[in-house]
Amino acid sequence: MTIGSDQVVQDVQDVQEVESGEDVAERNRPVALGPEEAAALARAAGLEELGVRPGLRGYVREVWSYRHLVWHLSSAQAWATNQNNYLGQLWAVLNPLLLVGSYYLIFGLLLKTRGGTSNYIAFLTIGIFVFGYSASAIIAGSRAVVGQIGLVRALRFPRAVLPISVTLTQFLVNVPAFAVLMVMIPLTGEPFSPHWLLFPVALLLQSLINLGLAFFLARLVNAARDSANLVPVGVRLARYVSGVFFSIPHYAGHGLVSALLLYQPLAVSMTTAREALMDQYPLTWGSWVAAAVWGVVLCASGLVFFWRGEGRYGSN
Amino acid sequence: MGATDVAPDATTPSVVCSGLDIVYTVFGAKQKGTDTGGELPLVERLLARRNPVSSVRKVHAVKDVSFVVNHGEAVGIIGRNGSGKSTLLRAIAGLMPPTNGRVWAAGRPSLLGVNAVLLTGLTGAKNVMIGGLALGLTPAQVRDRYAGIVDFSGIGDFVDLPMSAYSSGMGARLRFAISTAAAPDILMIDEALATGDAEFQARSRDRIAEIRRDASTVFLVSHSNAAIRESCDRVLWMEQGRLVMDGPTDEVVRAYEQSHRKATA
Repeated sequence: MTIGSDQVVQDVQDVQEVESGEDVAERNRPVALGPEEAAALARAAGLEELGVRPGLRGYVREVWSYRHLVWHLSSAQAWATNQNNYLGQLWAVLNPLLLVGSYYLIFGLLLKTRGGTSNYIAFLTIGIFVFGYSASAIIAGSRAVVGQIGLVRALRFPRAVLPISVTLTQFLVNVPAFAVLMVMIPLTGEPFSPHWLLFPVALLLQSLINLGLAFFLARLVNAARDSANLVPVGVRLARYVSGVFFSIPHYAGHGLVSALLLYQPLAVSMTTAREALMDQYPLTWGSWVAAAVWGVVLCASGLVFFWRGEGRYGSN
Repeated sequence: MGATDVAPDATTPSVVCSGLDIVYTVFGAKQKGTDTGGELPLVERLLARRNPVSSVRKVHAVKDVSFVVNHGEAVGIIGRNGSGKSTLLRAIAGLMPPTNGRVWAAGRPSLLGVNAVLLTGLTGAKNVMIGGLALGLTPAQVRDRYAGIVDFSGIGDFVDLPMSAYSSGMGARLRFAISTAAAPDILMIDEALATGDAEFQARSRDRIAEIRRDASTVFLVSHSNAAIRESCDRVLWMEQGRLVMDGPTDEVVRAYEQSHRKATA
């Protein structure tokens, strides 16, 4: 790096002595820092290495310390969901009601898939509202990291906060729909029952299932963007095979296929909700245990799966 | 120079970076100019078009960078567009994992980027809360500092509007106010102050000086050599992903400016 003599003359006043660009470059050459040397230096100064995944236990503790962030993020996002139109929060109630109306028209009146149900409107309403929660939680959960890249790029916090908060957001968004459901159930002629108190438990188990799926999908979609396009397809498929608007045992019999359809996590969520709210379906250990096992297993394995990708989120 | 005599532990490193390499993937990076399909026969044209289905490219943004920065130092990072300055900053902030090499840092880094908005759909007030919590404050601490943050940002009543309604300068001001409210151990500013008006820039300079007095380290990426001269006592010069010079502001900035003159001469 040689400098022309005219420039050097300009610089003399500041630098006091004439020197070539090479001297400046030489003096300011970056340090050559070997890995061992750097590690020793960092250790002596008590620095923390970046981009390194913490242990699972430490990670869980870290996530717990960010619980306030989870809550504020979720509640703010949930409130913002329906803010961009005139009827605002009213849509949280109107949307599922309109959906029930159109499904009743198609499946109740035109296709007549009401076989095996004594109170089809209650059956259908529970199916739509409960499945709707899972569907929105899964779709939003799959985009939990890539959809909030602004946060990911700007701030360092355990990324598991994102799938958790997205799941909680979808739960909060669906609370008005669940309230409507509790008003509609007695209107459809279901007798009051103490079993109704189990409905929140069913929703809790369903939330664990949703969260587990969100953990898995959020990491997959972050690693391979394209998979985000498959999630809505999968959810749509699940909508038609999970018994949202028809009774699985009535149409699929009692063989292996029926058992598989009935005990997959999304169908189990609807079964437990119907057992809690409908007279026709008595409580069965099978479905509640299945829901609990799915919830715990999916949530735990999903968290481990998501944690193993920590440090890679937002890197592309 | 500067804060080094004020900080109690100015001789201990706050950032150590060793042999840092960063390669990242860019989506939608298909090059229009290289598409020569027009001159090819039909079959080749179809094949050629089939080829870059994914349009994904690898970018080697930072190459073998090593340095040590002490507490209380203010370090400017200069270089042309695309020289890897912002990527380097994000790696030191722990937001981008190193492909090779290792980075160590003290405590909480806080990065202030060009796209200063956290959650566009939410109001400024909600962004203050969420940003503060993400920086590790408790809800009570954020509430305590809320008035100060809004005051400093000078956005007034806009704080209750969604951030999508903000001008880029307002967004940058609010983000700066949030980021500095948590007294970060390492504050990184990536061109974010360029959008603010003169009065805000003066105030943010004062705030940066204050942060440095608390022995925090400041990194500043800027294309304004004047801003670098004013706030930094040390400069890293990046060129095509490599660190070419690392030294006192005067010398490095002058050498950088001279390399410009040579390039244009």
